[in-house]
Amino acid sequence: MERNEFALQMQNVTKRFPGVLANDRISLDCKKGEVLGLLGENGAGKTTLMNILYGLCQPDSGQILVDGQEAQITSPLKAIQYGIGMVHQHFKLVDSLTALENIILGIPSKKPLLDLAPARARLLKLCEEYELFVDPDTNVWRLPVGQQQWVEILKALYRNAKILVLDEPTSVLTPAESDQLCRAVRRLTDEGRSVIFISHKLREVMEITQRVTIIRDGKLIGTIPTKEATQKKLAQMMVGRPVTLVRKPRPVIDKKEPILVMKDVTVNDDRGIPALKNFNLTIHAGEILGVAGVDGNGQRELAECIVGLRKPSSGTITVRGQQITNVTADPSFIGFIPEDRQKTGLVLDFNVSENLIIKDCKRAPYVKKGILQYPAIKKHARSMIKKFNIKTPSGDVKARTLSGGNQQKVVIARELNPEPVLDIASQPTRGLDMGAVVSVHDTLLDERNRGAAVLFISAELQEVMALSDRIIVLFRGEIMGDLDGGTADVSTIGEMMLGQGSEVGA
Amino acid sequence: MRVQKKPKFIRVPFIGELALSGVRPIIGILLGIIAGGVLIALSGINPFKAYGAMLQGAFGSLQSFSNVLVRSSPLLLGGVGVALGIKAGVWNTGIEGYMYLGAIGAAVVGIPALNLPPVLHIALALIVGMLFAAAWGLIPGFLRAYRGVNEVTTTIMLNYVAIFLTSWLVSEPQPLAEIDSFYPMSKLFQESAQLPILMKGTSLHPGAFIGLAVCILFYFILRYTPFGFQTRMLGINPNAARYSGVNTKQKIMLIIMIGAMMGGLAGAIEVTGLKRRVYMDFVTGVGYESVAVALVAGGNPLAVIAAALFFSALKAGGATMSIQTGVGAPMTSVIIALCVLFVIGVGISERRRLSKAVDKDEPDKVGAAGSKEDPNVI
Amino acid sequence: MSFDMIVDWLQATLRWSAPLIIVSTGEVLSERSGIINMGIEGIMLSGALCGVAISFLTGSVLASVLVTIVLGIIMGAAVAFLTVSRRTNQVVTGLMLNLLALGGTNLLFGLLSESRQTRVTTFPVLFPEAWHNIPVVGPVLFQQPVSTLIALILPICLSIVLYKTNWGLNVRAIGDNPQSAATAGISVKKIKYQTVILSGIFAALGGCALTLGEVGYFASGGMTAGRGFIVLAAIVVGGWDPIRTALACLVFGAADAAQLRLQTMESIIPYQFFQMLPYVITIIALTIMVKRSIVPKTWGAPYDPRDV
Repeated sequence: MERNEFALQMQNVTKRFPGVLANDRISLDCKKGEVLGLLGENGAGKTTLMNILYGLCQPDSGQILVDGQEAQITSPLKAIQYGIGMVHQHFKLVDSLTALENIILGIPSKKPLLDLAPARARLLKLCEEYELFVDPDTNVWRLPVGQQQWVEILKALYRNAKILVLDEPTSVLTPAESDQLCRAVRRLTDEGRSVIFISHKLREVMEITQRVTIIRDGKLIGTIPTKEATQKKLAQMMVGRPVTLVRKPRPVIDKKEPILVMKDVTVNDDRGIPALKNFNLTIHAGEILGVAGVDGNGQRELAECIVGLRKPSSGTITVRGQQITNVTADPSFIGFIPEDRQKTGLVLDFNVSENLIIKDCKRAPYVKKGILQYPAIKKHARSMIKKFNIKTPSGDVKARTLSGGNQQKVVIARELNPEPVLDIASQPTRGLDMGAVVSVHDTLLDERNRGAAVLFISAELQEVMALSDRIIVLFRGEIMGDLDGGTADVSTIGEMMLGQGSEVGA
Repeated sequence: MRVQKKPKFIRVPFIGELALSGVRPIIGILLGIIAGGVLIALSGINPFKAYGAMLQGAFGSLQSFSNVLVRSSPLLLGGVGVALGIKAGVWNTGIEGYMYLGAIGAAVVGIPALNLPPVLHIALALIVGMLFAAAWGLIPGFLRAYRGVNEVTTTIMLNYVAIFLTSWLVSEPQPLAEIDSFYPMSKLFQESAQLPILMKGTSLHPGAFIGLAVCILFYFILRYTPFGFQTRMLGINPNAARYSGVNTKQKIMLIIMIGAMMGGLAGAIEVTGLKRRVYMDFVTGVGYESVAVALVAGGNPLAVIAAALFFSALKAGGATMSIQTGVGAPMTSVIIALCVLFVIGVGISERRRLSKAVDKDEPDKVGAAGSKEDPNVI
Repeated sequence: MSFDMIVDWLQATLRWSAPLIIVSTGEVLSERSGIINMGIEGIMLSGALCGVAISFLTGSVLASVLVTIVLGIIMGAAVAFLTVSRRTNQVVTGLMLNLLALGGTNLLFGLLSESRQTRVTTFPVLFPEAWHNIPVVGPVLFQQPVSTLIALILPICLSIVLYKTNWGLNVRAIGDNPQSAATAGISVKKIKYQTVILSGIFAALGGCALTLGEVGYFASGGMTAGRGFIVLAAIVVGGWDPIRTALACLVFGAADAAQLRLQTMESIIPYQFFQMLPYVITIIALTIMVKRSIVPKTWGAPYDPRDV
């Protein structure tokens, strides 16, 4: 009987969500003792694929073979039984419990009483084996982030995972810790275990993996041996797509006055880790500055601190000389199209007309003598619906009932109609169909042509290149490069997005 | 998964919004009434007869209806105070306490002989009552808005403090206390500080009408003023509210204090209109019933009117039901509690689940440009 | 204040604290798993009546205890169904259950009018008579009915269960981060049902201890007098830890015993201020704890399994 060389085979896995084909007949396999890299942008479908592998969701079709045998993975518990261990990008730890308690959590036990001593001994042995040291009896919330990552990995190892999936494992690690991790991975594969390594950091992928699988738009693009890959090639496979967006012609604007000036800004994310470090940026009037980069490298914090929703811990932000300390009350100053329109941009249970005036609800002509003037509000809505081509039966329907594209148009109408001096568009085309995307692009270009400064953040490289006068690439909160929009090259930008900068990358 | 069922009654103005949130609570109330009927039957009494007696007791004559109105006064005011909080996303469950404080405030003004014309004396008593209650509401309001302390716990704790505070103030030898009485109570209010009786032979005072007016006023404020607009926004989406310039902390504290003032007004009216004194422990659960009223009404002030009247009819009719058919008097509380439990078990949970789900940001499920749009994601 | 009065007060403290501690045993578990059972006031009241009624009907305290447990299971299951499966607002669910229990107990008590005149069989005092007269320790400890002694042991048992068993670990995990617990394979719903039903059982038993512990009768309209809420308060002050919660119950029980005695005495501080004490302490404690993030993260929030 031939010894099976594959630890894992996923064959023709397909998963459809409402309106989105997340996985389109994707096949990948991972040999025993191999590190397989998995590359793909956010939205490419790799998270869905991994969720299927871990039993968090079920595929519509396709099959999974573990060590040659077909596996029905209906829940995380089943996945663990099959020897699949998953280390999530966003930790699934219970902060108030100790590291040891987290590691043994959920393991069925015959004894009612906690018997920590043998578990502790086993854990310490694992720590030594893989050189991933944690104090078993410290509460997780007290552990530094790197050690929390080790706890996640040890959780899987404790359950004897033969196939370990690491999702962006080094995103929170220092370079020294990343090296530690790489060494641990090597030890794992020496033992015959397999690792699926999901990462955006090209350098690491090139160093650690034996083969790389690239996924894009829900489809498998290809799997190549790492030896035969170059960073350029990987970037192109991951990011390049048939050109569907042509660069739009635009009038040249001279003498651009600086509108937004950010000096040495440091901003923390929700975990307290700096998302932007000593960040410097200037945007001029009549210019679209495109911010390229994989989602999660500081884009959201950048947008929020400029708008005033997030306070920087140091540095200054000025718009036309005025310092930004809080959300501005003047709608004609900054227009903000947030990346999560349903959370920050819209009040879904309000109707369209009401959503259009949430920033103006105390101003004439919508208020007279302290009373809301609904005729004026509705009239404004009608004119906005017409001007921005919002497909809705009337202004009286709840925003919740509109399609994504039209919801976005409502936000755009509200934010851009007052002709602000600075527009911030954060992932404005996310979830929109082609027609809506084109309409957003045209709108932003019109804004630029009338003299506004536009900050355009997007994870879709194609549209950044089609639209921007200038492009910066964000990686881990730093600017990897500042390029001219007309002449920038896809693969250069792609490499920068993955950490290879014209300056030394991380 | 598609989100909304097709709503009914949308064209009818005013009522449209009411009915939208009203279909499910009505089912809950019906279930509660049926369950009550089952309990009555179990105790050996014909439920139809019992409910019939209840209807008669509530609506049978002008006199009985006046009882309904009298009982509805605190439910209307307390209910609308809590409802305002619900619209803003806070649970202001301190009505019991606010009523006591309102009563104390009214007593401070209403007991001494101030030689004022009744209109002024009463107005002063009510206003001072509201101010005392506002001060009481400042505590949970501040703690919730600026310190993130759960307002339900603080208000319920303060309810008990208010009970004991009142008990102390109306027990001798406090200045407000009645001398030589068998039960701790305050001195009698001055004639000029007592609300007039509107119908001879009843205890009908203007309280219910004040309550009705306040409910309509609050509906108007919520729908037609910027303040109400921002309040509703805050309750649905605090993030968007913050972005659009609402000072969320200040607003939350203010909303809790306004709710407190309504509770205070309710208490002040109870003592100036119905009881004419402040008795120890006089509130007897009405504060929590007004929370139930607000919940069943879904926070809508006009629906509060319906719910308050409904519960008051139950209570007023309950006395008659008890006398005529022998059903125990506490059965009305049981029926009210069952109605609310069925309402929340059946319906309200749906709305909360929806708004919670929509708040989720789901970037991974969204396709790249070129794929079809996502509908509203669950 | 004479020595006798202090001993008497200590004895009363233990007696009044016992029902509180019993109720808190179940509720600590429930809150640790993320569900506030605000209905324990009503369940306690129901247990109080149930204990007296069954004791009156059968003369056996054992039967009372058993029936009370069944009652606690039923009421706890109702709360669990609403708050866990239907994800209702926990506060309103509890408040309405209290209202239901208040009306229900008044109704049923009306039917049992004969019992008003008699004192029913109460919990026995297990210690021999000879020990009762030992100075101090005699009255304070050895004259206590068995329910008080059980109450003193419960916090230790609860501590062991919560911190030293697998189930207790799961409970703590769920209360902190249900999504992570679910990913680890734990059935969040099942455990929440278990803790809430336990809170029902212990709340009912606590009420039973209140009436059968000494007084032996039930008075309508105020038997528990907000003691359920005092337990909720004690849990907050005790930082959701079994032993500290029991200590808080003792402090609150001491205040309760003090105010009862002060009602008949001349004192500078009005007895009502002792009544207020537990509630004021709770508000201050909660404010401090929120600042220090001691409050369990999912306290009072409904858990949606689709949020994983």
